[in-house]
Amino acid sequence: METKLQVRDLRISFRTSNGKVQAVRGIDFDLAKGETLAIVGESGSGKSVTSKAILGIQAANALTESGEIIYDGKDLLKISEEEFHKIRGDKIAMIFQDPMSSLNPIVKIGRQLTEAMILKGKARQRESRSNFNTYLKSLSNAMVEVLAKNDPAKASQIKTMCKNFDKFEFKHIDLESAYSDAHEAALEALDDLEVEIFELEKHSTKDATDRINDIATQAKASINDYVVKEDADRIKTLASGLNGLWKKAKKDHEYAEILKSMYEIREILQKAVSKDVPNFFRMGYYVTFSGQPLPDLPVDQLNDFLLKYLDENFMLEFISNAKAALEYTAGISYENLAKAVETLEAAIPVYQREELNKKEAYETYKMMQGAVMATVDPLNIHKDSLTFTFGSSVKSEIDRYFAAIGLNVKAEKAHEKDQKKYDRLLAKGKVPDWEVAAAAIIDLELVKKNIVHLIERLAENYKTILDQRSQRDYQAQTVEVIDYLKANASGVVEKVTHRVAKRRAIKLMDEVGIAEPHKRYNQYPFEFSGGMRQRIVIAIALAANPDILICDEPTTALDVTIQSQILELINKLKRERQLSVIFITHDLGVVANMADRVAVMYAGKIVEYGTAEDIFYHAAHPYTWALMSSMPDLDTDEKLEAIPGTPPNMIYPPVGDAFAPRNKYAMKIDFEKQPPMFQISDTHFAATWLLHPDAPKIDPPKAIQDRIARMKNRTEA
Amino acid sequence: MAKRNFDNAETLLKVEHLCQYFKMDGSELKAVDDVNFEIKKGEVFGLVGESGCGKTTTGRSIIKLYNITGGNVFFKGIRIAAGKRGYENAIAKAKADYKAAVKEHPDQEAQLKAAMEKTVSEQKEAMKLAMEEQKSCDREYAKQQTAAVKAKYAPLLEKATGDEKAALQSEYRNELRKARNAKLVTQIQMIFQDPIASLDPRMTVRDIIAEGLVIQGERNKQAIDDKVNEMLELVGLVREHATRYPHEFSGGQRQRIGVARSVIMNPELIIADEPVSALDVSVQAQVINLLNELREKFGLTILFIAHDLSVVKYFSDRIGVMYFGKMVEMASSDELFAHPLHPYTRSLLSAIPLPDPIYEKSRQRITYNPLAEHDYSVDKPSFREIVPGHFVQCNDEEFARYQEEMKK
Repeated sequence: METKLQVRDLRISFRTSNGKVQAVRGIDFDLAKGETLAIVGESGSGKSVTSKAILGIQAANALTESGEIIYDGKDLLKISEEEFHKIRGDKIAMIFQDPMSSLNPIVKIGRQLTEAMILKGKARQRESRSNFNTYLKSLSNAMVEVLAKNDPAKASQIKTMCKNFDKFEFKHIDLESAYSDAHEAALEALDDLEVEIFELEKHSTKDATDRINDIATQAKASINDYVVKEDADRIKTLASGLNGLWKKAKKDHEYAEILKSMYEIREILQKAVSKDVPNFFRMGYYVTFSGQPLPDLPVDQLNDFLLKYLDENFMLEFISNAKAALEYTAGISYENLAKAVETLEAAIPVYQREELNKKEAYETYKMMQGAVMATVDPLNIHKDSLTFTFGSSVKSEIDRYFAAIGLNVKAEKAHEKDQKKYDRLLAKGKVPDWEVAAAAIIDLELVKKNIVHLIERLAENYKTILDQRSQRDYQAQTVEVIDYLKANASGVVEKVTHRVAKRRAIKLMDEVGIAEPHKRYNQYPFEFSGGMRQRIVIAIALAANPDILICDEPTTALDVTIQSQILELINKLKRERQLSVIFITHDLGVVANMADRVAVMYAGKIVEYGTAEDIFYHAAHPYTWALMSSMPDLDTDEKLEAIPGTPPNMIYPPVGDAFAPRNKYAMKIDFEKQPPMFQISDTHFAATWLLHPDAPKIDPPKAIQDRIARMKNRTEA
Repeated sequence: MAKRNFDNAETLLKVEHLCQYFKMDGSELKAVDDVNFEIKKGEVFGLVGESGCGKTTTGRSIIKLYNITGGNVFFKGIRIAAGKRGYENAIAKAKADYKAAVKEHPDQEAQLKAAMEKTVSEQKEAMKLAMEEQKSCDREYAKQQTAAVKAKYAPLLEKATGDEKAALQSEYRNELRKARNAKLVTQIQMIFQDPIASLDPRMTVRDIIAEGLVIQGERNKQAIDDKVNEMLELVGLVREHATRYPHEFSGGQRQRIGVARSVIMNPELIIADEPVSALDVSVQAQVINLLNELREKFGLTILFIAHDLSVVKYFSDRIGVMYFGKMVEMASSDELFAHPLHPYTRSLLSAIPLPDPIYEKSRQRITYNPLAEHDYSVDKPSFREIVPGHFVQCNDEEFARYQEEMKK
């Protein structure tokens, strides 16, 4: 399975006036595409801090001590805020626990839903335009460089060819978007018709004016050469008459007439949406350059005809040229890669010295940066983000190193002063009611290690690329290049106007189960109930079609039916969009429903990690047991086992297992030494000394065994 | 939790045809519509339903945070709240019936008119009585209390002499003032959902917990402190916490303060409105265990409003299910979970997530669409008893079907 997100040895602390709170203490996990990882734990266990780090929205006093969060080749802890703008909300979205605090109380729901769509739409348009132009230009330059270095006639021919591509590609997008708008309208109208026909057949008393107007608009919008064509006039008449019929029906409570009209619209639309689709890319070329009208053929024959025309006149040549250009620039890039590896490896010792030399450190950095940037291949559409983030991350680490030297001295002094004050008080015989906070020292060794690690990783990465040189398939890449250009062209054409955004927002609201979205669109957040607000928040998170969805207790404040609906909604979206989900919750029922894998967190560490089956049927950590037995299920009769005490103060993290003081199975070693992760099976890990071969054998508490037995019975029954 | 049987216990709270409507854009929102139930002494009655179904409104109407639109609420047999709507409807209906009847039989006009006027005056009379009763319930209660205090202290005062008499007299005056201010509704206390929002951030824990006592007229500082400390220990906090402010506590501790505040009034009925919904699992267990202990210790009666069905099942003796302002099903909790009859209850039960991944992966949620489920165009539904103790909102046809089902 493709890994979407990797978290490695993440450590986050917060500087507070009382000392450094160690919120996350070295956690590792992977998130695969289309998978749900649940993070379970009490409040204060560091689960929200982790999720906020992934989204780059940590509090100002947060301190990332080490670790990396790798998404799409980028280390999210290192990239600039500018770059994060492209990821946050767009690629990684978050649903927060409290819907009221994540909505703006004085802005109407509709605006809040469409705001980001419109802004992002504009940005995307700009970006696509620049991507398309730059790429086409580099491609054309490279082609000229390889094929027509000393041949001006050929060079100008190549340039015209690229221009032509630009022209007909935009024609293609126009044709296609006209079609897909109409097709989508037809589908939406069908959905609405289905609901409305059901309600009218049942003589519902609900006011359907909005929906009926919707159906009429959508039905009219579905007229297109490849959707509703022959029946265009008929559907226009029917749609226009719908409102009048509805008014009459509402007055007389007589629905036969309007239903008849609806049945007919439904029939026409159903026929229309099942039609074959022509290839608009080919059609775009034909329409732009042939100067003749389209031949009147059935769709499959038309496609063949157009393909032949396109290949003969343009495509085959373009592809062979593009392939040559790709091979040429890739060759240059490979040479530079080999050089860069040398430079990087030579630079490592500079950062391993006892004490870094400021001048040398920065100069070496500049040298590396130059070598690394030279490896960029302008025609490679897969941007290696390690290359692009390398400079900034190394620089920030070097900066931190030299800043830390000064800060550490200050921290030492402050600590000494406090300690003296404390000792003076003790000497006077008083017992102060405060404790001396540990000095907030930044670990210089760790910073140096981080720098070396960054360099090593990039060099490794380059070596792998060089090794795979012979396997590169330029033919396939040429096809990818054309797709890339197509995608960017469609990005340019796709305008997100207020009207489009509103339609999309209303569709989203409908999708997340908000009744009467038209009316709700113009309301303020306070007019919604808790469940409805949470749905709005989910709709906003989904508006950008993210890759990763982080849900921070999204259903904790909701009742079962709504919770169930929202979980189903998230599951459905996950399946449809291959979404990866990080689900943070303390409700084990919800975890069982959602999770493919579960990580149980306590005091900033993952204490147990495994598939949902591992955790629920073979839990091994006492904390997991405690969590399970503190929640009643439908058959619980005995007294609930609450976990005694509270989580530890993370300014003074315990030496041993953090859960030991609350753990009735704790052994002596638990208070002295932190347990390592013991592997139980291929997928199941737990950090408890109970799994050590020398530990006494302890069975899970009776309540849990009973529950597992009950579960087995239920599954078998 | 072993479920107990309360068939023979005294009825503490009785809610009759409770209606609570809110005005909205000229029309009315029926937040609670014709809800009936009884709670026996010592019982835990759970009220479940999705958000917006009116369960919180029901709780608040009982404690008189709203003026109810229609119906009656009886607490210990005394009418504490009453609404006019039922009577007004009856009067309107009598008048409409009269008009229709006159059209059909113009010859009997005088006779019909007399009958109509009789009904109208009867209804008006009943309405007046109901309103007076609910208004004077506190006064009556205060009178009773005053009389009791007087009866208690009169012989004592006569016997006492000198210093002892003066002390006794001041105590008597204190008690008397409290008795005069006594309100019946203070016997019902509420625990709110959000432990942060329901505690005043600028009051110390002591002030928060003692507030009810102070309002009631208690002025003896020592007595207040003692009582507050007792309550703090009862809910698992310590005396030192009394001088702190709410923000210094964790969520579970705050909810404990909320519990202490309501228990200090020595109530007979506690309305717990989602007391654990906003809490962590482990803390949730602590608060539920605490409520359980209090119930056993003081024989408290609890109206438990929640949406977490596993918790409700665990904690309640009887459960009422609400849907859009109406009570659709009511039964003992085991019965309800074993034989859910109303389609909404089934849909609700099918939505409960259980900590069992294999079961969860295959769980199918049943959706409830009233339009598709019921045909109430001719045969109107009402709240009927299918088997003893098990009530369902249904019409004649469904009634027969449910009875058939229960026999199986």
